Amino acid sequence: MATTVESRPATPARGSSKGAGMSEGQKKTWWAVADLVVLLYALVPVLWILSLSFKTTDTITDGNFFPRSWTLDNYAQIFQIGLFTAALRNSIGIALISTVLAVVIGTMAAYAIARLDFPGKKALVGVSLLIAMFPQISLVSPLFDIFRGIGIFDTWLGLILPYITFALPLAIYTLSAFFREIPWELEKAAKMDGATPLQAFRSVIVPLAAPGVFTTAILVFIFCWNDFLFAISLTSTSRSQTATVAIANFTGASQFAEPTGSIAAAAVLLTIPIIVFVLFFQRRIVAGLTSGAVKG
Amino acid sequence: MADIVLDHVYKRYPDGTLGADDVNIEIADGEFIILVGPSGCGKSTTLNMIAGLEDISDGELRIGGQRMNERAPKDRDIAMVFQSYALYPHMTVRENMAFPLKLAKVDKVEIDRKVTEAAKILDLTQHLDRKPANMSGGQRQRVAMGRAIVRSPKAFLMDEPLSNLDAKLRVQMRTMVSKLQQRLETTTVYVTHDQTEAMTLGDRIVVMRSGVVQQIGSPQHLYDNPANLFVAGFIGSPAMNFLPARLENDTLRTALGDLAVGDQLRQTLSASQAERDVIVGIRPEHFEDASLIDEGVRHQGSTFTAQVDVLESMGSDKFVYFSVEEQATSDELAELAADAGTADVPGGDAGQLVTRLSAASSAREGQSVDVWVDTSKLQVFDPKTGKNLTTSEAAPATV
Repeated sequence: MATTVESRPATPARGSSKGAGMSEGQKKTWWAVADLVVLLYALVPVLWILSLSFKTTDTITDGNFFPRSWTLDNYAQIFQIGLFTAALRNSIGIALISTVLAVVIGTMAAYAIARLDFPGKKALVGVSLLIAMFPQISLVSPLFDIFRGIGIFDTWLGLILPYITFALPLAIYTLSAFFREIPWELEKAAKMDGATPLQAFRSVIVPLAAPGVFTTAILVFIFCWNDFLFAISLTSTSRSQTATVAIANFTGASQFAEPTGSIAAAAVLLTIPIIVFVLFFQRRIVAGLTSGAVKG
Repeated sequence: MADIVLDHVYKRYPDGTLGADDVNIEIADGEFIILVGPSGCGKSTTLNMIAGLEDISDGELRIGGQRMNERAPKDRDIAMVFQSYALYPHMTVRENMAFPLKLAKVDKVEIDRKVTEAAKILDLTQHLDRKPANMSGGQRQRVAMGRAIVRSPKAFLMDEPLSNLDAKLRVQMRTMVSKLQQRLETTTVYVTHDQTEAMTLGDRIVVMRSGVVQQIGSPQHLYDNPANLFVAGFIGSPAMNFLPARLENDTLRTALGDLAVGDQLRQTLSASQAERDVIVGIRPEHFEDASLIDEGVRHQGSTFTAQVDVLESMGSDKFVYFSVEEQATSDELAELAADAGTADVPGGDAGQLVTRLSAASSAREGQSVDVWVDTSKLQVFDPKTGKNLTTSEAAPATV
């Protein structure tokens, strides 16, 4: 036993391979250590940004993890410029609309792919995969030209359209995996119980696919919320600029000052909706919701 | 309630295979009919066509005198119980049972009354607010039944509803299904691959094989007068013994010795040519320990002596197994063996004779015993077509 303690495993994988000769308590300790390492790795940058956002302009470059002097100036400052508030509104609006549309369309498409046999099904799946793999940067210039030509440059619609396009493959793939999990007999049962196909879909299939729908919604929302490429290329004013773009456009107090504090504060604010979104839907993402449908 | 008529119904799959081949069944109002056969015989396809879950390629389906071919399942007014129960996991038992009524836009008070009543019949009252996930198999099964009966549909369709239950519960539920059907007097089509279920539950049994109806009749009729080798081998447990034989004048030459053909048998057989190879079928209970047979009765059968291979005493009876050299072979018997899984067992029941002797029999393992066969109960089959030569009944053509 002593030898295992000395060769302290750094990863969960190594920890579990040693697990064979360990007691239950030791195993738990190793797992806790491994979890902690992963957690620290993920959280330190976030905490660092959080710390930066509370630092005063003087101490911002001092390299201390914990701010010596606390201030809320950075937060106050970003709201003084009306630009950021407008951008936040744009971000929320565009991301929410894109998410709802992508999930609704994706749900129907995924259902068709999982359950129906129709000509061109393979082509559809192939094309949606193709879109997901397509380098988005190569589309920026053509879209810029097209959108200016048809007059949707620098509008919400001009961002919602490409967002839906690139979120749909993700939505379709995630959702069709969930739909395949739902026993087909449930749908047959609904039909026998007198449901129209739409009723069966709405009152049996969708509630059961809810965890999948919410998971997809979160993924799509994060994708739209985080986008920078389309947002900076296809917008020009506060009419449709999103928060990510607004942050990039921050200027310091003077020409020579870096707006590090403001950027940190804005970045912290940007993560809040994501955290809220995930926490809100987390309860709905319960694995094994379909247990009990068919024989146990 | 209504009668169901399948009129020359075919199911053709895109690849050309026939799921149902000219199926003709007339199911009377209130009748309990069983579709039985090995897996892939077309019984579930037939049921799904009645339900409307599968299209009918050709022929007509009538429920209550009306053509149903083009109607959606929801417009046929029939309820179905699935093998997997197919309960909606996100709904409570009450909601599950109320679902068909809600879809039919029945008012709330009425829904409540009907669900409560069905729950009472099925002994589910105390479980109404539970979710299916927290229930046992038997309870889930009853909920599935409940969902079917609340609507008082024209007919019930049941697709192997008991096959997911363990053996003991299955027997209990079998009785429950039987009582329920008698009480509701609703036309019921029940699919199973279990011949015991078929024998015990149904008013009539439809035996199917590769999409073709082999025989329709009451359980006893099918047992006593199987139309062909397939039905004979499928119905009855333990299964009928099949022996190759040669018919010469009035005698059947078999591995058990010469069996005299009885008067009745001779009459029916005389129509066919005199000397030929046949397969003889003898049910296990038509054997008896020769020492227990009265002299007066003994001449009605034949006696042979054989060494006991295995003896299973059931208390009420003794199952005695003998080895025989030759084993009857035919496509139908091979299919039955494959379905029962006996084809995979080393030795299997190849060359085995199963007899059911009285408990008073003195048979011992490894010792010889005189066994009497009731030759008046023999069934003789044509080895090529599988047709039963002993019954005059015209069987549906086999492929």
